[in-house]
Amino acid sequence: MEPKKTSKDLLSDLLTKHYEEAAEAKKNGEIVAWSTSIAPQELLETLDIKVVYPENHSAAIGARKCAQEFIDQAEGDSYSNDLCSYARVNVGYMTIQESVAGNIPLPDVLFCCNNICNTVIKWYENIAKELNIPMILFDMPFNHEYEVSENNVRYIRGQFESAIKQLEGISGKKFDRDRFKKVMGISSETAKWWKKSTSLAIAKPSPLNGFDMFNYMATIVCMRGKQEGLDLFKLWAEELQEKIDRKEGPWKDQEEKYRIMWDGIACWPHLGNTYKVLKKYGINMVTSTYPDSWKIVYENDDLDGMARAYSSNYVNRNLDFGTDNIVNLVNDFSLDGIVFHSNRSCKLMDFRQYEVQRKVQARTGIPSVIFDGDQTDPRAFSLAQYETRIQALVEMMEQNKRKDA
Amino acid sequence: MFLGVDIGSSSSKAVILNNQREVLSTAVINTGTGTRGPEKAVATALEQAELITSDIEYTVVTGYGRITYDKADRQITEISCHGRGAFFLAPQAKTIIDIGGQDAKIIRLDNNGRIENFVMNEKCAAGTGRFLEVMARILDCGIGELSDLSLRTTKELAISSTCTVFAESEVISQLAAGAAKEDVAQGAHRSVANRIAGLAARIGVRQKVVMTGGVALNASMVACLAQEIGHEITVLPMSQVVGALGAALYAVES
Amino acid sequence: MKHLLSLIAELETAALNPIKTLKKTMDTSKKSAVGCFPYYTPDELVYAAGFIPVGLWGGQTDIKLADTYLQSFCCSIMRENMEQGMRGQYDFLSAIIIPTYCDTLKCICENWKVAVPQVPLIPMVYPQNRKIQAGIDYLVSEYKRVQEILEDLSGEKVTEESLASSFALYEEYRKAMREFTAMAVHYPITINAKTRQLIIKAAYFMDKKDYVPQLQELCRSLSALPYEKFAGKKVVMTGIMAEPAGLLDIFVQNNVAVAADDLADSSRQFRLESSRGNTVYEKMACRIADQCGCSLLFDAEKERGQLLVDLVKDTGSDGIVVAMMKFCDPEEFDYPIYKKELEAANIPILYLEIEQKMDSLEQIRTRVQSFIEMLG
Repeated sequence: MEPKKTSKDLLSDLLTKHYEEAAEAKKNGEIVAWSTSIAPQELLETLDIKVVYPENHSAAIGARKCAQEFIDQAEGDSYSNDLCSYARVNVGYMTIQESVAGNIPLPDVLFCCNNICNTVIKWYENIAKELNIPMILFDMPFNHEYEVSENNVRYIRGQFESAIKQLEGISGKKFDRDRFKKVMGISSETAKWWKKSTSLAIAKPSPLNGFDMFNYMATIVCMRGKQEGLDLFKLWAEELQEKIDRKEGPWKDQEEKYRIMWDGIACWPHLGNTYKVLKKYGINMVTSTYPDSWKIVYENDDLDGMARAYSSNYVNRNLDFGTDNIVNLVNDFSLDGIVFHSNRSCKLMDFRQYEVQRKVQARTGIPSVIFDGDQTDPRAFSLAQYETRIQALVEMMEQNKRKDA
Repeated sequence: MFLGVDIGSSSSKAVILNNQREVLSTAVINTGTGTRGPEKAVATALEQAELITSDIEYTVVTGYGRITYDKADRQITEISCHGRGAFFLAPQAKTIIDIGGQDAKIIRLDNNGRIENFVMNEKCAAGTGRFLEVMARILDCGIGELSDLSLRTTKELAISSTCTVFAESEVISQLAAGAAKEDVAQGAHRSVANRIAGLAARIGVRQKVVMTGGVALNASMVACLAQEIGHEITVLPMSQVVGALGAALYAVES
Repeated sequence: MKHLLSLIAELETAALNPIKTLKKTMDTSKKSAVGCFPYYTPDELVYAAGFIPVGLWGGQTDIKLADTYLQSFCCSIMRENMEQGMRGQYDFLSAIIIPTYCDTLKCICENWKVAVPQVPLIPMVYPQNRKIQAGIDYLVSEYKRVQEILEDLSGEKVTEESLASSFALYEEYRKAMREFTAMAVHYPITINAKTRQLIIKAAYFMDKKDYVPQLQELCRSLSALPYEKFAGKKVVMTGIMAEPAGLLDIFVQNNVAVAADDLADSSRQFRLESSRGNTVYEKMACRIADQCGCSLLFDAEKERGQLLVDLVKDTGSDGIVVAMMKFCDPEEFDYPIYKKELEAANIPILYLEIEQKMDSLEQIRTRVQSFIEMLG
């Protein structure tokens, strides 16, 4: 009998299949979409439009340490090095169209949702212009109030309706509302299981191993509306629960000594090094603001609920909500400290970091450090600086432990 | 006789031509604007050519210190002067790379030697002679030795940081971890070459590529840069005084 | 001529002394002021509610306090606004409106609540999907929401009449600005690069009902003169703003005239006339919907390149000057696209990286001079 596939195997298979299907679709003359990472993919899934996610692709290129080539291409084409490196890598890829990290077909339509940032609007505008293709924009107004307002929900819902018409025109297919209902059901369910799995890291010691969550993120991005995505997260949750039942921590060879939250995305080109330094000190990353950002949960057939859910992620909320969010994480996950990644590419996260750090410190008393890095540009990181700061964090966390003892 | 003066932030150069555009003398003094460097450069050039001040018909000044220099008939930017001077020395030149102590510029010429486009970096130490100076200090050697050291490299060592300050700490860590000085020296050259290549890509590189400025005297740097931009590079004779030469040529034409 | 010069001098002085001008405006009109952040705000509404809308577009203060909230790679307008706010320089305002056009503005809005709590903050969201009906409806709802807040502050309701007359005044202001900038092309000596920008800027600190007649008088005076012969270079400027002031001095010293502009703080504010909408709110919203070629407003067609090519051709200019506000992502994204279109049309480009506070202008001087030498 074949050994049961682990979620890690399944993860790899699903990603491979995801890229292969897109390539196949393009070859057969079907339209392919490029989409931002927290976009209403339910609409594309309903119309069976294949989609790839440039952010996933740029991250993979960064992790394979081959981002420089694409960045050089973009900067040679006059893209400023001040701009988001995911965008620079992607724009460079559009010219080079070949990477050891895998290839993605060029798009026929763009699906852009700015709940993650307004930078994607500019990035995708440029793609639309260069390739002369239509761009569907979902503008999620920034929530400066604590909750998402009714006016905002109405506007977003209006954009959903408008997008459906646009997609029907572009694809030549009729939008099947029954299928949509089914897809909504799966998507919401998958998001619930994503939250469930990542929440299992609440256990002490956590069954989640450091940057594992970052690896599974690729699939909550691209598999949300698919049954296989749902199955993957159920399997992952099962495995994690089994580890908890066996009282297994993150590492076979080491104890989990400190539990931290990592604020921001990973430094993909330096994943190995950043992880090793943490492990050296027994620091396990048990959570971040990302699990909640993909908790796109809503009632079946509730378009308003879907609109609200897509507008509710961490970076699209005000500072008070954001702070409460992190304070809850500190308490729920029994955190000892926080590592803030001041990601040169992500101004939306960076320009609130200092105040968030202060507020969380004041309310929870736990120590934190900020280090300079970048999500895909390998040049904007200093291992020496990172090590020094992590060491400083350890000293502070150690001090606290002794104080509590 | 015609005088061209190039006043930089850390050096002053002068070139004297006759009206057949023959170079009568050149001078380089290692202090720049705000010092007596410009005066000394002019005085030295005059002495060498066995001339006195009143023999000079027309003077053109260029460089950072040109605005406050009051002994010239006209001031023209170093972009135009470098272009003019380089074209005179190498009529096939289409791309000029000038890396100085504190800045770097790339100039594109058309078939008639006129400036087509230019790009400059004067804000950031990375990609200039300053970066190499910082590296030389860490390796405890002079700039000349840095170049020699790099030629003896045996292993590729990348200095990935674009920021000079970050790069400093990166290099110190590497040396502490046992990296060879020769490899670090080569890494430093490659780092500058990468920066320059990136700058050049913005306006495009066309053959024939020539190099001017103090850093052009660093053979290892030139070789590295040629690799990065994918073109052969010719180092112009009199590379340090190309700007002053251009200024002098403008003086002749006035 | 003397009369014209004194009119010009008056407006230039007003622009060069913003706080003094504003205070004078507030005294004379007996109105309070509401600060308006870049890039587009409902000035007509603010005015109808009985306040003077004053543009807050940064400044030249040394940055110290703002570092508490912002890394160094934040655009200088926002850092300056933050710094000035934290130093109490905006305390005399009745409120400040912060719209969230870009990621940086979103963060500034949130930090402001903590850093400058002493001035009431009115956050606002302008829809990026501005052309569809849902977008227009949303913007109208935002206008109404903000109106209620302004009414609470002033203690008075905004009537339909005051709204209508306010909008009419602002349409008149925009028309006068278009006439002025069109006329200025022919008088590059009297209306040199610096004078042009100062005259435009003065409006930010004055009551439009005083500014408009002054500008119209200036235009009448100007039109009496014959067109000026000009041996220098004419350029079209594009970017967020033509700052620092020293930049324009360098233009004047080098005989460079600004024939037209695509600057966020200048022509982008007034180049579009209202052409549709049933209510005043709709007219305001449609003006935003119909604006094109602005980096801060979603534009999948990216019409800015063509707009710049047309401006150069229509004014017979020699080239484009890009005043790239350092760390401005939206502007940085637009550049590679319109650069290609300008190059295809053989239009020379001078790229200047600027910040509001620049201690050394030598680098800019060299680049401007080299550009002129290159144009030959």
